[in-house]
Amino acid sequence: MNRLKDFVEDEILSNVTKPLRYVGNEYNVVKKEWESVKLRTLFAFPDLYEVGMSHLGMRILYHLVNEQKDYLMERVFAPWTDMEQILRERKIPLFSLESYHPIKEFDCIGFTLQYEMSYTNILNMLELGGIPLEAAQRSNDDPLIMAGGPCTCNPEPLADFFDFFVIGEGENVILEVLQTITEHRQKREGKQEKNILLHDLAQIPGVYVPVFYEDKYNEDGSFREIKVEEQGIAPRVVKRTIKDLDESYFPLKPIVPYIEIVHDRIMLEVLRGCTRGCRFCQAGMIYRPVRERSKELLVKQAEELVTTTGYNEISLTSLSTSDHSTVKELVNDLTEKYKEDRIGVSLPSLRVDSFSMDLAKEIQQVRKTGLTFAPEAGTQRLRDVINKGVTEENLMEVTDSAFKAGWSHIKLYFMLGLPTETFEDLDGIVDLAYKVLRKGIDIMKEQKRGRQPKVTISVSSFVPKPHTPFQWEPQDTLEVLQEKQRYIKDKIRDRRIVYNYHDAPLSFLEAVFAKGDRRLGQVLKKAWEGGCKFDSWTEHFQYNVWQQVFEECKYDPQKIAYRRGEFTDNLPWDHLDMGVSKKFLWRERDRAYEAAVTGDCRFNNCSVCGVCQNLDVQLMIRKDEKGR
Amino acid sequence: MIVRLKYSKTTEGRFMSHLDLLRTMERVFRRAKLPLAFSQGFNPHPKISFGSALAVGVTSEGEYVDVELTRELPLEQIKESLDVAMPSAVKILEIKKIDTRKQGLMAVINVARYQVEIPMLGSISQAEFDEALTKVWQVPTYQVERRGKRGIRQVDIKQGIFSLVGQVIDDKIKIEMELQTGSKGNVKPEEVVKMIKELCEIPLGENMRIHREGLYIKVDGKLITPMAI
Repeated sequence: MNRLKDFVEDEILSNVTKPLRYVGNEYNVVKKEWESVKLRTLFAFPDLYEVGMSHLGMRILYHLVNEQKDYLMERVFAPWTDMEQILRERKIPLFSLESYHPIKEFDCIGFTLQYEMSYTNILNMLELGGIPLEAAQRSNDDPLIMAGGPCTCNPEPLADFFDFFVIGEGENVILEVLQTITEHRQKREGKQEKNILLHDLAQIPGVYVPVFYEDKYNEDGSFREIKVEEQGIAPRVVKRTIKDLDESYFPLKPIVPYIEIVHDRIMLEVLRGCTRGCRFCQAGMIYRPVRERSKELLVKQAEELVTTTGYNEISLTSLSTSDHSTVKELVNDLTEKYKEDRIGVSLPSLRVDSFSMDLAKEIQQVRKTGLTFAPEAGTQRLRDVINKGVTEENLMEVTDSAFKAGWSHIKLYFMLGLPTETFEDLDGIVDLAYKVLRKGIDIMKEQKRGRQPKVTISVSSFVPKPHTPFQWEPQDTLEVLQEKQRYIKDKIRDRRIVYNYHDAPLSFLEAVFAKGDRRLGQVLKKAWEGGCKFDSWTEHFQYNVWQQVFEECKYDPQKIAYRRGEFTDNLPWDHLDMGVSKKFLWRERDRAYEAAVTGDCRFNNCSVCGVCQNLDVQLMIRKDEKGR
Repeated sequence: MIVRLKYSKTTEGRFMSHLDLLRTMERVFRRAKLPLAFSQGFNPHPKISFGSALAVGVTSEGEYVDVELTRELPLEQIKESLDVAMPSAVKILEIKKIDTRKQGLMAVINVARYQVEIPMLGSISQAEFDEALTKVWQVPTYQVERRGKRGIRQVDIKQGIFSLVGQVIDDKIKIEMELQTGSKGNVKPEEVVKMIKELCEIPLGENMRIHREGLYIKVDGKLITPMAI
């Protein structure tokens, strides 16, 4: 086996950028004997090593599976184009990092679907591994191809290529899946009968086997419905949720890469879910309810992780870390404890309020680089529409406090093209940027800091996502998005304000693949055949190829992205139950049009989204348990 | 206390950049629970200084780094904890306590010894090869191009080549070279190979394998290792 490893190391790696992307002998790597386990699995991340290794979900599943005696899990990432070219020229199949086994030799390959624009990389990786792309073309000897991650809440565009999807949080269900596969094979002397196996797998809650469901269309080509067509298979698949974050697995000896990765630090997950209820936010809907990990456990885990990784930074990660009920005490404890060892604490994002500002002051005692806030929209009206409970007063308060405390660079995140948006709202974005800048100028002059403040506004384009109140909303057309982007650009006339915006065609495709149906699979395949890969990397994005392919396939992407839906419409993801009810989503959509704000159920009444009732789970807020 | 480590960079370690190595060293000391000393000031960083940066792609069995700790610890204990905390790309070979008043590693190291293996495209006898190397040795100067911040400039590398010995082994040649390194000038083994290729007609292939055997301090014509001072 190691002949491949030697060959790659000797002949190939000197000729590619960042060879350590492909070596995989990092500290804390797990290498198990190939012959010592019953089932060999591979975690496949359809992007570069540096991106994939920054993903906490992969870390959790990798170490969890490898801690089981009967299984091993190795890793593979999308090879960068220079490596791909050499692999193809030399006819070397894509291989795993741990043992250099061709990926085809694994029993089961799990891809993670983190963002839609990584889909072409999945096809590319399968092909580089010599694995037939379509599930229907794979035999009993080919690996099973599965996927998990947020995009499985509408996996229909990928249904042709995957044997099954795991919906929801993976910690528990992954072991049930692997056990089912192992037992199936043991009964058949290591052989696999895929149809029977898939039937068994589909009995596991959270496992969706697309081949058992049939998609139907109206005569005009619009989506009609998707329905189970197999005996003994559930009509709807309900997502899996872990009940208690303190009880669930968390890796305490994570891999420490040699090369710098995107999030090169300890990732300590402090809570899961968010009930702030922003109406555009898919994560805020599909990861409900909020479950906090207790401070006592977090402090213990941090201590362990510092020793096992040697990192000098602990990032408290979650969708909204400043919402953790004991975050202040946690940050206090950690900063005090590790001050002397020069280990810092960081928060990935900050809520726009003075509480979060106090936290930031506490942890950023030394380095005063940029501080990021996300008002998301430019006017109060539109912020109410999207249920972003932030006021202009909040924003001015925190930026005032930030400049006074010594920060000079403020970054603001906005979204463009939100439902009901007018040019007044765009003016609001510009106004806010100028107001923050002027505040900075005044304060920094007063403090005689002799430097100029800087305000960065990053404006992304709204993408309607499944399982959100805005899933029925049309996206602005490309022309409108681009016009709005220019409109803002023309109004920013101060060099101290930096304006960033996203490529509009990319946001359009993202909407199409987020909301599209099963027929998109063939579009995807053709686009990949046309050379599309690494679409989310600007230098590789080929919109003209995509346009051609849509035409060739006679698939009108505009009908997906620009369509305004009705409550009674069947949607391509209706058979997937994320706990949040469609009724709640529609009610939230109505309230958006009334600019009515819905409170967070942690501090207000239950908003009856349905998650706790449907999934038999509950909010888990630690402060209440211990008393205040 | 300041400890000097002699370490090797293995086949996979050769792909680590200098920055990768710096990050790794800091993490290794943290994992080993050894009390790193930090610089003062706005942005404190650990007091770790390397002998001479090793180019990406080159293996080595003689690299050096000085690390300052905040308190005295037995060397044996330091070595043991480092061994456990070290990733497989790097291996500690020797450790010693050094006197704080002595000069930094970078300032004193001035010689690097390399072994270079190059595949041959034709065949050549040992005598022919010796003759070729003698020819190279007798050239008074040899200019190479270096890309710097101020554009491309010409540098004479001949005076930085201290010894050159070659051996023909089957279809490969192996060259041992002693080259200048450090703050006063630096000759790269690739440059010497290029020189040989250009001056002699030896059919050499691409894909050479470079191994750094060690770093030395040349005092009065004698080589001593950084562990010996």
